[in-house]
Amino acid sequence: MRRAFAVSAALLSLALLTLVVVASGAQARSEHAQATTITLSGWSAGKVEDDLLQTMVNDFNKTHPAIHVDYSVINGDYATAMTARFAARNAPDVFYVDSSVAPTWVKQGVLQPLNSYIKASKFDTSKFYPGLLNAFKFGKSIYGFPKDWSPLATEINVKMFRQAGIRTAPRTWAQLAADAKKLAASGVLPAGAKPICLPPDWARMLAFIYQNKGSLANVQSPAVAAAVNFYVGLVKQGLAATQQQLGVGWPGEALGKEKAAIVFEGNWLLPYMHDTFPQVLMGVSPMVKGKVNGNLGFTVSYSMAKDSKNKAAAWTLLSWLTGKVGMTKWMSLGLALPSRTDVKAIGGRKAFLAAGPFSHGWGFPNFTATYTIMSNDLQAVMNGSMTTAQMLSDVAKSLKG
Amino acid sequence: MATTTTTASESLRRAGRGSLAGARIREAGWGYLFVLLPMAVFGLFFIYPLVYGIYISFFEWGILGKVHGVGTANYHTIFHDSVFRRSIKNIVEYTVVVVPLEMALGLLIALVINAKIRGRAFFRSSFYFPSLVSSAAITAIFIYLLNADGLLNAIIGGNRAWFGDPSTALWAIVGLNAWTTAGTVMLFYLAALQSISTDVYEAAAVDGTGTWRTFWRITFPLLKPAHFFVLVVFGIGALKLFDQSFIVSSGTGGPVYSTYTPVLYIYNTAFKSAEFGPAAAAGVVMFVAIFLLTLFQRATVGRSEAG
Repeated sequence: MRRAFAVSAALLSLALLTLVVVASGAQARSEHAQATTITLSGWSAGKVEDDLLQTMVNDFNKTHPAIHVDYSVINGDYATAMTARFAARNAPDVFYVDSSVAPTWVKQGVLQPLNSYIKASKFDTSKFYPGLLNAFKFGKSIYGFPKDWSPLATEINVKMFRQAGIRTAPRTWAQLAADAKKLAASGVLPAGAKPICLPPDWARMLAFIYQNKGSLANVQSPAVAAAVNFYVGLVKQGLAATQQQLGVGWPGEALGKEKAAIVFEGNWLLPYMHDTFPQVLMGVSPMVKGKVNGNLGFTVSYSMAKDSKNKAAAWTLLSWLTGKVGMTKWMSLGLALPSRTDVKAIGGRKAFLAAGPFSHGWGFPNFTATYTIMSNDLQAVMNGSMTTAQMLSDVAKSLKG
Repeated sequence: MATTTTTASESLRRAGRGSLAGARIREAGWGYLFVLLPMAVFGLFFIYPLVYGIYISFFEWGILGKVHGVGTANYHTIFHDSVFRRSIKNIVEYTVVVVPLEMALGLLIALVINAKIRGRAFFRSSFYFPSLVSSAAITAIFIYLLNADGLLNAIIGGNRAWFGDPSTALWAIVGLNAWTTAGTVMLFYLAALQSISTDVYEAAAVDGTGTWRTFWRITFPLLKPAHFFVLVVFGIGALKLFDQSFIVSSGTGGPVYSTYTPVLYIYNTAFKSAEFGPAAAAGVVMFVAIFLLTLFQRATVGRSEAG
């Protein structure tokens, strides 16, 4: 008797639960009954940024009643997670694409070319910095619009510079070497510190290569070799050290811990220094210049999945986010720099903005394999176990795939 | 167990010759039914991916699937890739050093703990503890300890960045893994040590055999099954090194390729470059190498076990 009661009670509550779930689901559906639901994803660059994007999505949903956007962050290794989503034909409709993976994803055919949408909606592409847009342009097809970006700048420890009697941050290669020598000789550097922190990383050295009129298209040219030798030479002369040699994780930490007086980092260094090392007085100047100005643009696009089932709605979102209105909202907190010339950055970003016209998007064909070779070979060149020519030959071979 | 068998065979005998075959079939049927579920899981998650992986290795294969057949070109690609060859060299050096080190360390700790000392339960847990902590967490801590201005350098003097120097990075991982894994090795040796009959030790004591001689002539040879097990299991584990290299080098296998391993190569090739064909080929090469190595170990060290 008792058992029968227990069973029927369980069945009844199960039935009630089902009813509640179905009813609430129906209600949720009816709210967006007319709206097309699309998904938006990216990696998380901190809670502040996630919240800002969620606010923007809410704004979009309010002003576009026909479309409902679901924003979700992809945690963990973004490229790996997205690869799995692409393979499962289950990618978000609109998502972040880093300029470094763009060539691979375009080659794999998982990104939607946007040309027909651009034409149909008369979207003005001329407002974007060409160097940044080119990172997502392959042949005549555009596969995404840069949502924001950052170039490199020269960041210095102002106190050390003053103590060494140097008035301004270095602007040229010659000044860089001269200032480093002065800093080393002046005795203002604490024990174990070096004037400059230079990572064994082409994501820094390539800027110097562009400054020497070199490029990846002709990576075995004398101009490239000379730039590499200048960069590596600073380390070999003891004027610079890698972050490993200084015992830090990255050059920003070296600047913060006063283990180096000069580093070359992007906009991301500013909030880091503000939050982690507020006591260090930092000066930000435009990136040093060689024969010409040259810089790297670290940029991320909003792109559309080729498999998206709601491409029209996805384009509406994408063009709003990267349009003047969306990007102006996105810039309100100063987390990044605008990739459009008609949107202003918040104050104090002059040193970065100046690099817009001569920045090259960071990315190249066969990226992962080539970047692996670049990183490892550059370490070998720095420790003297490989020649510059050997490294450039390896890189040239890998770039060809 | 013995009783059950007797009853079963008795009942079978009583049932007569005709239904004996039927009973056997029925018994076998139940047996197969019971192994069906585990086999289905094994087949779905091990055999099927293995065979599928071999299949993929003969194709150009992208994120969206098969592109076209390329014969053995993927194998050609990886064997001509200096990064893959370097990763093989690294993993061989690593395994040859780390496995004996883990075995020696594990055996030493097991012997100490097996001796009748006070607080052995405490020591046993302490030595096993590192094995329980996530390798990512341990590696992250070791990066700080082995930094240029880390604890190790503070103790021994000097300013070498152990993970930043191509001549020491792989050996730093050897040290780190020998320390974390020795506890698990110890458990296996401890179990084996406790299964050795005390009679042989008593006989040796009566004959007046010294401690050293007792260890080398009695304990060590009698631990042969444990040696074989540890060698195979931890040898395979060492060949699959991935997380520590990935973390200390941020996935680049650096400095100067010194921590590049085949599994890191597979990961980068498949999930970063989206070239699943060469990645699958590298996986097949690893599978064949591990398979042959295990057969070889079985034929040499594990001969008495197999027989």
